[in-house]
Amino acid sequence: MLNAAQSFTSVRLATDSASGSVDKSVQVKLVLLGEAAVGKSSVVLRFVSNEFQANKEPTIGAAFLTQKCRLEDRVLRYEIWDTAGQERFHSLAPMYYRNAQAAVVVYDITKASSLEKAKSWVKELQRQANPNIVIALAGNKLDLVQPSVSSPGAASTSESEDEADDATATPGETPGALGEPASLRQVPREEAQAYATEAGLLFFETSAKTGEGIVDIFTEIAKKIPIEHILAATRGTGRPGAAGSRADGARQEGGVNLEENAAKSRDACNC
Amino acid sequence: MSTISTALRNFKEPTKEQLTQIFFSLPSAGLLDGLEKTDGQYVEKMDINAVLSLGVQGLEESYAGKLHLIAPYLAFASLDRKSVRFTIPLSTIRRVERLNARAGIYALSLSTWHGMKIIVQLTSLRPTADHFCSLLRDALKIELQRGQMKLVKGFTKTCYSEALVSETSTVADNEREDGSLISEEKEHAAPRESTYHGGLGLRFKFPGDPKKLREASKIKLWTTYLREHGRNLTLLRYPQCTRLVQVGLPNRLRGEMWEVLSGSMYLRFSNPGYYEDLLKKNIGRTSTSTEDIEKDLHRSLPEYAGYQSEEGIAALRRVLQAYSFKNPELGYCQAMNILAAAILIYMSEEQAFWLLEVLCDRLLPGYYAPSMHGTLLDQRVFESLVQRCLPIIHDHFQVVDVQLSVASLPWFLSLYINSMPMIFAFRIVDCFFCMGPKVLFQVGLAILKINGEKLLQIQDDGGFLNLMRDYFASLGDSAHPNSTDPRARAITRFQELLLVSFREFSVITDDMILSERRRFRNEIIHSIESFSKRSAVRNLKTLGRFTKDQAGFIYDALYKAMCVVPPPAPVNPPPILLTANDGAEDKPETRIGLKTFQYFLSEIATWARNEKIVMNGFQQRVDREVAEHEFIDRLFFFWDTSCRGALSFQDLVSGLDGVMFNDLMENIEWFFNLHDKNKDGFLTKDEVLTLSESFLFIFRYEVGDAYLGAVSRFMTNAFEYGDALLPQAEEGTENKSETGAEPPSPRVIESNQPYLNLATFRMVVLADEVLESFFETDLSASFRLEPVPDAEIPASANGLLGDLWSTIATDSNKKMFHMFTDEIGKTIGKHQVIHRPSIGRYTKLEEPKARESLLTPSMRKSPSKASLTGSGSASASTATLAPSSSSTLTVDVKGASAKASPQIPASASLSPMVQAVNARLMERTPFAIDDAKDDEDETDDELEGNDNDDQVMDEVDAFLEAHDSGLTDADKEVANDLIHAEPLK
Ligand SMILES: Nc1nc2c(ncn2[C@@H]2O[C@H](COP(=O)(O)OP(=O)(O)O)[C@@H](O)[C@H]2O)c(=O)[nH]1
Ligand SMILES: [Mg+2]
Repeated sequence: MLNAAQSFTSVRLATDSASGSVDKSVQVKLVLLGEAAVGKSSVVLRFVSNEFQANKEPTIGAAFLTQKCRLEDRVLRYEIWDTAGQERFHSLAPMYYRNAQAAVVVYDITKASSLEKAKSWVKELQRQANPNIVIALAGNKLDLVQPSVSSPGAASTSESEDEADDATATPGETPGALGEPASLRQVPREEAQAYATEAGLLFFETSAKTGEGIVDIFTEIAKKIPIEHILAATRGTGRPGAAGSRADGARQEGGVNLEENAAKSRDACNC
Repeated sequence: MSTISTALRNFKEPTKEQLTQIFFSLPSAGLLDGLEKTDGQYVEKMDINAVLSLGVQGLEESYAGKLHLIAPYLAFASLDRKSVRFTIPLSTIRRVERLNARAGIYALSLSTWHGMKIIVQLTSLRPTADHFCSLLRDALKIELQRGQMKLVKGFTKTCYSEALVSETSTVADNEREDGSLISEEKEHAAPRESTYHGGLGLRFKFPGDPKKLREASKIKLWTTYLREHGRNLTLLRYPQCTRLVQVGLPNRLRGEMWEVLSGSMYLRFSNPGYYEDLLKKNIGRTSTSTEDIEKDLHRSLPEYAGYQSEEGIAALRRVLQAYSFKNPELGYCQAMNILAAAILIYMSEEQAFWLLEVLCDRLLPGYYAPSMHGTLLDQRVFESLVQRCLPIIHDHFQVVDVQLSVASLPWFLSLYINSMPMIFAFRIVDCFFCMGPKVLFQVGLAILKINGEKLLQIQDDGGFLNLMRDYFASLGDSAHPNSTDPRARAITRFQELLLVSFREFSVITDDMILSERRRFRNEIIHSIESFSKRSAVRNLKTLGRFTKDQAGFIYDALYKAMCVVPPPAPVNPPPILLTANDGAEDKPETRIGLKTFQYFLSEIATWARNEKIVMNGFQQRVDREVAEHEFIDRLFFFWDTSCRGALSFQDLVSGLDGVMFNDLMENIEWFFNLHDKNKDGFLTKDEVLTLSESFLFIFRYEVGDAYLGAVSRFMTNAFEYGDALLPQAEEGTENKSETGAEPPSPRVIESNQPYLNLATFRMVVLADEVLESFFETDLSASFRLEPVPDAEIPASANGLLGDLWSTIATDSNKKMFHMFTDEIGKTIGKHQVIHRPSIGRYTKLEEPKARESLLTPSMRKSPSKASLTGSGSASASTATLAPSSSSTLTVDVKGASAKASPQIPASASLSPMVQAVNARLMERTPFAIDDAKDDEDETDDELEGNDNDDQVMDEVDAFLEAHDSGLTDADKEVANDLIHAEPLK
């Protein structure tokens, strides 16, 4: 139970039998990790049902939710495992992140220690989990350091790690903006960004409360997941080289899409 | 960041006596506060064969079994250990009479507080029976003296059952079919005398439809049962009791019955006022636990009305906090909120508090502990039971790589309350308290069995969870919706579940669970330990130059040291200081003190242990002891860079990193710095002496005089050059030493005056071949990172042989064996002890020479060179050094030079901590084998009577079935006679 098996077995093709279509969706197992009360469950709730409310669901071990996410012509079906936060449940975590293709490690930007915990989770995932796991780092509760209500669409998030270095130049993004109530923020955006780049993680600052940045986590992960590779592996007839280049192409196209309109990608995901 | 716990290692299998206590739901010794008042009065435990009859003709059969006197309780269990049993406090026994019966029959009549008569025929031999009686008399006397008898009356008033059976206030008749009380509405008019405890349900309604739950008929049946068989403290559990529990306890009685069945009532009874006091004492106190509790208060059964009100939330908060104050080590674990919320619907805070105690401590052992080892263990046990009972499902799960625990973990952690609709979960909880923890496993297996076909379709964890979710949501539906038989149609899926649980999985017994736990305990402990090891290594801020594996070895040594010499518990700051949540997980990082460090270092550094190679003609072995020396203490404080007086894993890794990879020059500097206490770049004269002592300590077991000579030369040179560097002003008074025996007078040198700098030290060291090679390679090499052999986990590995071996192969037994062979060896003259050298470079006497050429001529004009020339032999140098300021030095040198003599350090030099640990190991009694045998017996017994549970879903009057009383007809006749027998005068 404490060993994380390292395989892709939980990825498989699901065929939409109701419509009888050949619309193939890829199932992606995603796990949320992070210190207690950083907002993991809230992030999931925002993503799955686009709402924010006090968490009513008592979670023992991990809560399990699913959500589809359309990306290009493909549908991803996220199987989300939202783990319980208490430190003593830590030894149970491998049970949930085993076989996961993606992980969202959440910290609270108003609590410095939560980033330390997040780093330790990242280390653990990189050593113990599926070697190809896509990890996203999410600094949550962004709304607490923003002076006024910001429209969710206005602030686009950083790009995938390749472009992370110049993410600060992304239009519409104003990290550490003037008027930010500096007292509350304990983790500078730059610091977390630098760490994420170094560790090879996707990075976002989010607010489950306003919805900012939430969908982006999941779309960016979707782009980074080597879907073609998985599909090929599942079919057993894939040409790895071709699959790789195809995935790269998809990522770029997605990037363009996002810049066009962040709100659009939100709709796409709440299918 | 890392906390390292050795708590699991200290686990001890319960002794047979403890198992009996557990069986009878008795409080563990520490919880019987009342007993201390008796000034050590104490009655030995005893059990005796007995036949139990109720003093009413025809009401119940007689049962053969065992009567246990476990003061201050009297307990009985029928031979099958399940048909009939009771546990009653002695203080509820108001009269004991010897009955006048047929010759050769020894029988007692016991009258209880509730006016019930219990007749026990003691079937053991006469003297045994006499002894039992006299013990019983003594124990009763003590209870009387303690004033416990007087407490019974007040206590029973807190029990709902009293109100239920009292003839004046017939609660049962006042109860409407919907479960509300008629009398409640006129409560203000005539407040009842009896103020029984109750839960939130009394105010916020109980979950479920009382009509559907048949509350009224259940209450009637219970009223009758309680009137005839005793209640609360004096309840006798006959088969009917179990059946009534299996159809679901009535809401109003549920809390009290949970208390009785779990035994938490005995805790409440013997600790009056404890709960309130505890809360009062800790008012305003906050901790990690109280913070965690706050976070979960509003997500504990939020659908229940009581928890949508501040009243319910406040009660929940108080109970959880009180428990965390009582047991700070466990504190609070998510899922306890669910449990507490559930039981508070049916019981008062005080009742709930004690029940929570029993749950965490006895019924769900280790479930909520910081390591959650009990949870992991029972998940493993459950998996093995699934493999055994449902192999096809188990195999399928293996094939598709589905993990059972993703679904079953919350079942066990929250007693199904978090998984099923509450009304169903509470019925499982009823059975759990009545029949024991095996119920959790039986129900779990039944769930899988019922869903077997669908389970074989699932492909992954997610599918498994979804299937289970759907199943639990449908528990209220008919199990056979298409049946033509209306009776069959009326059977719900939940009823089907209980039926399958208790009928098809009756083979699962509590003893089987216990033995399965024994089987997997080590595996679980190992996996938890290796998990924490990996985390600890991963979370190191820096590995230094070590590889992960090497850091792992350091961890192992640290872990072993912590097992053998437990570090003192971290001192918590006073409550007031804990208020602010300053962010960091305020679980303190594990740090070790000096004693533990000494052990740790002895595992790693060759000179930090005394190793004797012992040959006694039978065996050759190495005895290892922890060395104690100021040098080691010095190292401890040297590595304590944050000045906390204790070292963390990181400190040890960094500390070792600072010495193990050094080259010659770095090592010289390291050694110098280690002795430069004020870090001013100079050693004082005293520090030079201490440094020399450190040398002597490290070299104490080397063969030959090479090292001794080297140290001697070192000192001579050090003092010579040290003096030469002193300001010349003192020269006049300085040159008095005529004999050359007296080193420079300490009078003129302040004790803290800088004396020797690093450059000089280096030069003096390099002047000597022996010291040079020591710093070049030997020092670093004296630290060795090797796999630490697994410290033995107490308790068994596998089955009988494992038990046997672990009992024999304790450290203490090995020691005894060694002592024994040594003695023989001595008598036959074969006993021989050699100290194993720490460095071991020189295997024979060698005369190294000082490298005088390296010394600069300018230094040579130092005045006191007499000692230099005299440095030929060790003994000479001893004489030379003796008059110096340090007296301990003299002793040390002598000891070192006398090392060839067969002088063995007495075993008294074992640290007292180690001895204490050994003593504790010795305490473990080897009951494991007896237990294993019992298991077999139990299983057979269970198999015979198992089909009795089928009837659970039929209406109440159909419940009673024949139970094996374990008596022949003749026995029964005797027992029957006794009901009419007169007391003996
Ligand atoms: N202001 C703000 N509060 C949040 C945000 N996300 C979560 N919270 C709050 O943080 C607390 C913990 O959230 P929860 O999702 O339960 O955290 P989890 O323990 O990591 O699952 C709750 O009180 C949430 O309402 C956010 O983006 N902004
Ligand atoms: Mg959560």
